[in-house]
Amino acid sequence: MNTVSFIARRLFLAIFVLLGVATITFILSHSLGGDPIYAWLGKAASQHPQLALQYEAKYHLSDPVWVQYYYYLVGVAQGNLGYSPSRGFVPVTTVIAQTLPYTVQIAFFALVISLLLGVTLGVVSARYHHRAADKSIRAFYLAGICSPSFFAALVLLIVFNLELHLLPSGGSVDVGISVPSPITYLPILDSLIEGNLAYFSSALQHVILPSMALALVNFGVVVRVLRSSMLDVMQSNYIRTARAKGLTETTVFFKHGLRNAMIPVVTLASILVTWLITGTIFVENIFAYPGIGQYVFQALTTQDYPGIMATTLVFAVIIVATNLVADILYVAIDPQIRLS
Amino acid sequence: MEPESANEKNTTAALNAPPSHERIRNILHALRTNRGALIGATIATVLVVTALAVFVAGVLHTRVTPFDPIKQDVGPAFAYPSWAHLMGTDELGRDVFSRVVAATPNDLAVSFTVIGFSLLVGAFVGTYAAFRGGLVDEALMRMTDIFFAIPALVLAMAIGIALGPGILNMTIALMAIWWPPYARLARGEALKIAHQNYIEAARLSGAGRFRILLEHALPNISVTLLVYASLDVGTVILIYSGLSYLGLAVRPPFPDWGQMVSAYQDYMVSVPWLPLFPGLVIALGVVGFSLLGDGLKDALGGS
Repeated sequence: MNTVSFIARRLFLAIFVLLGVATITFILSHSLGGDPIYAWLGKAASQHPQLALQYEAKYHLSDPVWVQYYYYLVGVAQGNLGYSPSRGFVPVTTVIAQTLPYTVQIAFFALVISLLLGVTLGVVSARYHHRAADKSIRAFYLAGICSPSFFAALVLLIVFNLELHLLPSGGSVDVGISVPSPITYLPILDSLIEGNLAYFSSALQHVILPSMALALVNFGVVVRVLRSSMLDVMQSNYIRTARAKGLTETTVFFKHGLRNAMIPVVTLASILVTWLITGTIFVENIFAYPGIGQYVFQALTTQDYPGIMATTLVFAVIIVATNLVADILYVAIDPQIRLS
Repeated sequence: MEPESANEKNTTAALNAPPSHERIRNILHALRTNRGALIGATIATVLVVTALAVFVAGVLHTRVTPFDPIKQDVGPAFAYPSWAHLMGTDELGRDVFSRVVAATPNDLAVSFTVIGFSLLVGAFVGTYAAFRGGLVDEALMRMTDIFFAIPALVLAMAIGIALGPGILNMTIALMAIWWPPYARLARGEALKIAHQNYIEAARLSGAGRFRILLEHALPNISVTLLVYASLDVGTVILIYSGLSYLGLAVRPPFPDWGQMVSAYQDYMVSVPWLPLFPGLVIALGVVGFSLLGDGLKDALGGS
């Protein structure tokens, strides 16, 4: 299969999967207390009769289910996700546009920390496998992987804020600091572009603990995969050849071993993104970080149905997109797959 | 791999395979000599025994916990951990240790139910799809693709909000989303054995599709599925505790680990151990079941 048809197939699959996810949310929104209007306006629909009528007409809520299904899909494809009762009845898309950048910030830092920690410890684990270093690393990542993210977040909060007073307890930035004007819509990046260093350093301090909490419960999978892939690679013939050429063990390990052992780690990125996104629901709530996770938490506790259905869809879009990128990257870096 | 060589290996392996009681003894020996597996087995046993004790006591209208888990003012509010109150008391003067112990059956029951259901459904659907092939197989694979695109917790949350909160509804939500990976795994394993001699022999001797599936295919893929399931028990506990933390499972005043963490985190400034104890118990339980699962994987892989 050549690269173009591979990507085309993946793209087709991605669209199919998203259609499936929208079907699931459609079915779910029809089981919300009987009235499909809840899925668009929440239980507060009765307080806004005008809007309720408008939605009833727009989404053909009095028509047969399959007609509703069609208009639902059209609405979702146009980015219309209803109104959020928990945020004063603004469109859900507006809420998502406001909160998503913060979640991207946390997820980015969490991913970087996970990969740095995971790759470093994975390399050490493989280099000294079955020795003390390997065993203590295993104990460390096992403790992380087995902790709920809300537990890790609380431990970090108690240690680094309440006990050591090193880092802020919550929020995205200290109060009273001027917010950078939106350029990329990612505040931390914008502040750097603008040269707003006060915002940059404060925002960085606020993002450390939540992303650390997420990284601590997720980096273990990187260690696990890299360690076993590294041990596999080091058994292969080309490593024996490299050694026979008289290269030092360090050169063989890093230049010939690590580079090839890193390939499976690329596919991990998509799994990591899934886990990190799930984790933000807990971590952002604990650290009062104004991202999409905090919105999900708020939507859940206030029965904001449109918010929950919409964020389910948004999460699916993010994951499908990450998978697509990971697949393409995988083909790009591994010639064995490209040729077969 | 060439099918011939695979079959040959399989036949030699079958001829050299020790009798089943010896195999079980080998597995137990491998588990006993594995320190991680031993620690895991100990934690898992303590949890299961505690859960059973709490359950039986509940049926007999008595209790095994030192105090009534929902009775208020059994001690002063926010008491430090002590011999009388091992994990201290909460804002209403309830004994936290009793609450943690009383909540043990929830997480375990949900996890075992969800895993058991997924094993059964996944094994059947997966093997059936593999043997049937064609459209059925394709439909299953594409359906699992859809399930993989939504994080388990988010999907369970969305189903949960549609069904309404409660431990039973959360179990149903988790059952609905948990089996597809099992079906995928079973399908892969079944495809590996589909062209082996003994399946072919059964087919030639006139056995029907379902008979082959039940008597020949399922027993041969069950080990792989069981190992996967044993590693998964902890994952379900993690996800369920998350749902419980979000307030979707057991409602107060009845105790549940995740729900306790979220209720007690309000007091972490003055009594930080309060949310940490139930959180630690969740982590410990998950560590226990993963160590046991890892040990089981090594033991079965080695035999």
